[in-house]
Amino acid sequence: MQIGLDPEQRAFARASGALAADLAAGWDRGRGPHDVGSPEPSEKDWARIADAGWPALRLREENGGLGAGTVDVAVLVEQLGRHAVAAPVLGTLVAAEQLQTLGAPAATLEAIAAGELRVAPLLDARLLDFAPSADGALAWDSAGATVAFAPDGSAHALGEPLPAADVTRAVRRPTSPVPAAALELRPPTDDDRDRLHAFVLTLLVADLLGTMSAALDAAVEHARSRTQFGRPIGSFQAVQQLAAEDLVSVEATRSAVYHSAWAVDALPAAEALRAARVAKAFASRAGVAVCEDVVQLFGGIGMTWESPVHVWLRRAQTDRTSFGDEHTHQAVLADLDLAPGA
Amino acid sequence: MDFSDSPEVAEFRADLRAWLAEHLAEHADGVSYDSAEGVEATHRWHRALAAAGYVAVSLDPRYGGRGLSDLYEAVINEELAAAAAPPPPPIGHIAHAVADFASDDLKGRVLPGLLGCTESWCQGFSEPGAGSDLAGLSTTAAATDGGFVVNGQKIWTSWAMWADRCLLLCRTEPDQPRHRGLSMLVVDMDTPGITRREITLANGSREFAEVFFDDVRVPAANLVGERGQGWKIAQHMLTYERGPADMGWTGRLGNVLAAAQEAVRSGRLPADDVLRRRLAAVAVDAQVLSWHVARSLVDRESADPGSSGSIDKLLTTRVEQELYHVVDDLLGAAVVVGDQRPFSEYLWSRAQSIYGGTQQIQRQIVAQRLLGLPRG
Ligand SMILES: Cc1cc2nc3c(=O)[nH]c(=O)nc-3n(C[C@H](O)[C@H](O)[C@H](O)COP(=O)(O)OP(=O)(O)OC[C@H]3O[C@@H](n4cnc5c(N)ncnc54)[C@H](O)[C@@H]3O)c2cc1C
Repeated sequence: MQIGLDPEQRAFARASGALAADLAAGWDRGRGPHDVGSPEPSEKDWARIADAGWPALRLREENGGLGAGTVDVAVLVEQLGRHAVAAPVLGTLVAAEQLQTLGAPAATLEAIAAGELRVAPLLDARLLDFAPSADGALAWDSAGATVAFAPDGSAHALGEPLPAADVTRAVRRPTSPVPAAALELRPPTDDDRDRLHAFVLTLLVADLLGTMSAALDAAVEHARSRTQFGRPIGSFQAVQQLAAEDLVSVEATRSAVYHSAWAVDALPAAEALRAARVAKAFASRAGVAVCEDVVQLFGGIGMTWESPVHVWLRRAQTDRTSFGDEHTHQAVLADLDLAPGA
Repeated sequence: MDFSDSPEVAEFRADLRAWLAEHLAEHADGVSYDSAEGVEATHRWHRALAAAGYVAVSLDPRYGGRGLSDLYEAVINEELAAAAAPPPPPIGHIAHAVADFASDDLKGRVLPGLLGCTESWCQGFSEPGAGSDLAGLSTTAAATDGGFVVNGQKIWTSWAMWADRCLLLCRTEPDQPRHRGLSMLVVDMDTPGITRREITLANGSREFAEVFFDDVRVPAANLVGERGQGWKIAQHMLTYERGPADMGWTGRLGNVLAAAQEAVRSGRLPADDVLRRRLAAVAVDAQVLSWHVARSLVDRESADPGSSGSIDKLLTTRVEQELYHVVDDLLGAAVVVGDQRPFSEYLWSRAQSIYGGTQQIQRQIVAQRLLGLPRG
């Protein structure tokens, strides 16, 4: 047993954190919803993302990728959440993994790995799972994507971003098919499908982890520096108790991410999916609760656009809903655990 | 014991319903705080209510009220909510402060505009350095010939961008202990030296501002009550501001709840057993809240609400925040993608535990003043 990141993974976390912070610094929250920066990265930023190998991370070497394990990908995604990166890296990673699982041609995957082809995953209208077809589907985290593929290989152009809670990621509808870009895909085996699902849930949990821990760190910093009644507000027990429970949630979520990321590559697919559902059920609830507490700890300023607090809450709510919230996964787990003979 | 309307209340309610049936459509169009036109429509709506005799009815008739009990204010809130009308003007607490403490001269000058809704008001209490610790505020009003000169800054002042007057809590007696050094002034917002800066709320709403005072001259006649009485007046106001009836929340929460129940009943929003139970659970809490509010209002007819308003505020917070969690889960993905009104209402529900004294401060008040626990 060895639980925790190895030195190489820690170095990768630092390097991705540095780039994520830099990308985040270039994004402008603006003065309100009407002048918030677009989540579509500039050509230059997208080139830096591609140079860092982020789109290629999980693709296998024969597909032009780096063949990284899920733990490494989770390390990156935690940093995307931590810095609330307004660029569709997560969407690209999810779409690439789906296409690789469905046996997309190497040339297509190589183009994605190199950052030349910008894709987004299609989810069903309730954001619960990958969409069975483009009908009524939503292209998730799709800012700047030029195409999204349905499981039958059909390619679809994408429309304007829809109104959305999250200001750091865009959702768009597929508009018209692009027959020339269509791919030949094959239906996945049950195991492949479960493993893909486990992978995606794990990434959402990692994004929640980064988001909630960044929010908590900011609240703790605020509680240290903000004084009321002649003392830092962090010296009041009511504040300490909220923050302490939030750290319990963050640390537990980190354990859940580590386990479910390890499980994606190490356990039989059905077990990996079960582990990922447990992690997503936990983190969906904990992540939003922490971000709500953080609003509370900031007080009035936390309710304004001038503070970044709502950006975390928006991102956490979106991660929570995407691919199923705690109730969705609790329902499946109840069926699994409570079926006669289970 | 009787929870039903007295004949007088029933008659008042019926008249108001009839008035709403006739006039709502004509007066309530376009009300919002998001644009200049919306604000203008809001003021029109408030003036229409005032003209019909439905603003600050609990004030003495001498000042333009109807001398009715607070119960009637609650009936107005309930009926407006039930008719899906925009809320009444949020001025009850300001009107009470002025009516209960100001000189006859000041009352005569400002109450007609306040109650007639021809002038709009804001409440300048919080400062960057003084939120929960309101008594620590540092905006000063130095006494000079014939008045005061105000310097300082207020923040998170709702409706300040378009307010005509501000009820300002400021320090006039720097040598006195904190709580005793404060006074309440009525400040005309067009006085030279006042600058306002809009602050957008997290949900995009634009009803907040920061207000700067730079050598602003305020006549002595605009002092509410006595010098050094500011804290007492502020406390008096906050007990009114904290009560859910004053804010009209129970009726509005009832509407949100009823809409969610209807959506499930009609099958428009699918709900599994878990969601149905959660909706039922929050309906239970909302029902108890409405009974509790009725009781508080009746209690108030014989006694000042005092600290028990904090119980009402905490209970409202509990119901409101859980209600929006359940409603959002019913809506599912539609909350995070598509029309952002539900998300923005959810965000607003998070403010319930902050404004008018945070949840932590309210709990402290309940623990120390009502339970008599020692101070830490
Ligand atoms: C929507 C909205 C509308 C508002 N409208 C107005 C208005 O019209 N006029 C006006 O004057 N103000 C207004 N306010 C300001 C509001 O009254 C303050 O935000 C509130 O009193 C909290 O102060 P603060 O924001 O400075 O937070 P802080 O006091 O800095 O509190 C930050 C955190 O510390 C906690 N804390 C502070 N002291 C203690 C303690 N002793 N024990 C335990 N915990 C503590 C708080 O509970 C909170 O979690 C409004 C605020 C909001 C959100």
